[in-house]
Amino acid sequence: MSTMPLDRRGQPILVQWWDLFRMELTNWRWSWRGSLLQGTITPIFSLLALGFFARDSGREALLYVVTGNIVVSLLFGTMTSVESRVSWLRFQGGLDYVATLPVRRSAFVLAMVAAFLLLSLPSVVITAVLGPLLLGAPVHIHPLILLVIPCCTAPLAGVGAALGMTGRTQQASGNLTFLLMLVMTALGPVIVPPDRLPGFMVFLGRFSPATYAASALRQVMVGPVTMRLLVDLLVLCAVTAASMAWVGWRMGRQEE
Amino acid sequence: MDVVYAIENLTKFYPKQTSPANNNISFEIRQGEIFGFLGDNGAGKTTLVRQMVNLLRPTSGCVTLLGKPVVGDPQHVAAHVGYMPQMAHALNNMAVGEALYFTAHLRGMSRADALRERDALLELWQMGALRDKYSTRLSGGERRLLRLAVAMAGRMPVLILDEPTNELAPQRRRLVWDVLSQINRERGTTILFITHDAIEAEKVIQRVGIMRAGELVAVGRPGDLKRHIDQKLRLELFFAPDAPPQLPAGLTPHELQPGHWIALIERREASALLERLDLEGLDDFRLYSPTLEDLYVHYAA
Repeated sequence: MSTMPLDRRGQPILVQWWDLFRMELTNWRWSWRGSLLQGTITPIFSLLALGFFARDSGREALLYVVTGNIVVSLLFGTMTSVESRVSWLRFQGGLDYVATLPVRRSAFVLAMVAAFLLLSLPSVVITAVLGPLLLGAPVHIHPLILLVIPCCTAPLAGVGAALGMTGRTQQASGNLTFLLMLVMTALGPVIVPPDRLPGFMVFLGRFSPATYAASALRQVMVGPVTMRLLVDLLVLCAVTAASMAWVGWRMGRQEE
Repeated sequence: MDVVYAIENLTKFYPKQTSPANNNISFEIRQGEIFGFLGDNGAGKTTLVRQMVNLLRPTSGCVTLLGKPVVGDPQHVAAHVGYMPQMAHALNNMAVGEALYFTAHLRGMSRADALRERDALLELWQMGALRDKYSTRLSGGERRLLRLAVAMAGRMPVLILDEPTNELAPQRRRLVWDVLSQINRERGTTILFITHDAIEAEKVIQRVGIMRAGELVAVGRPGDLKRHIDQKLRLELFFAPDAPPQLPAGLTPHELQPGHWIALIERREASALLERLDLEGLDDFRLYSPTLEDLYVHYAA
């Protein structure tokens, strides 16, 4: 009979992250339908409807519609997919599987967000390419867009994960996400320029990450890139860090 | 023999409940043994094992794995214990082979060893044809086998299995007991499981713990525990579920399933009792010497 090994170890954290990332990427097997429908078709229709309406309001309003709908793609595609994934894990026992593997919670949360970031890219690219073409509003892409897109996606994925860890039931999490998605789209200068919005909505928009994501995208797609981009990215990174820390903490909190 | 798990005075109250789910439970699991937990639904078995794998926080008491408390160091349990939960849900959207490979690798095997482990487990659990099938598309029984294989992946020295034969057809139940027996014999794997399948589990169980209403009412080798009831016989009654028979006074049965009762009767009273039994109201009856299931009925019912 073999003796019990006392020094069993899992993998180093980077290897854990890589495996978990690849495991999370298998979510494309179900999430592609949502990404296609919600992350691509919804923003394209919204873009067409609002774009034709905004045509008379000038180029600036059109460009708000283009960049705002990329954020809509992230809200409808990424945030909802991550929320569905996390609440499914919570209520179907998937978190028990992860919790009984020798992996760090932080590695799992980072892997999940990174996987959904990658899974959201096709929708974002399609919306970003089709939007200006359909509305006839040419954009000037700044190389910093390569940094800005992940920085816009990660906080919305993080908020989606936090929502998935929040509801008392899977349905409650879904309803809360849908509500928040609409609020984040409407509040602040996301799709509509600030001078067309009531003052209180512009003010409340300061508390929504979608506002900062839209601002960052406008600067790298329309210009000019200013110091405001740094502020936007810092806020988006802070929301990412806070939401992921909260998700990690909630995951580690054992059932009472 | 080394102690793998030591459970001391473990008590668990769920919020807003006045009676404990586990009440002052103490026992030990020794290296290389196969330990079975029996008890009715709601007896506190799953609550107990979830505390042992650090998924649930005890209200008081202590769970020690290999001399180290499990609370506060989730990595310690995860590195040594393979756990199979009661509900055999799908594992992500992974294919069967992917789930086995990633689990084995994350538990410390090299990539090459993890691939070999995947193939060995597919063969051991007769799931070779399912290697590329997504776990979401498996039947209930196939998912149960996958969760068993995943619990073992990485050659875990300790396995905790919550109802390993649930939802399985007889042939697969036999496979489960054979495989558990084999890895215990060949690798010295310590195995703790919860089951309602007492008769089949009797073939592999070395020690048994019987739970009732949150308390551990008996622990020991089945042979030792049976001595307490060896003056009794097991009477099984089969009847149409919608027409339960009238029973003689003093005979208190335990329902195994609708239309199937069992009762333990005193050996010396057996013939008198059978004479008073309404055989017309029964489809069939059987009389046996005690089994592990009778121990369960004796202590838990």
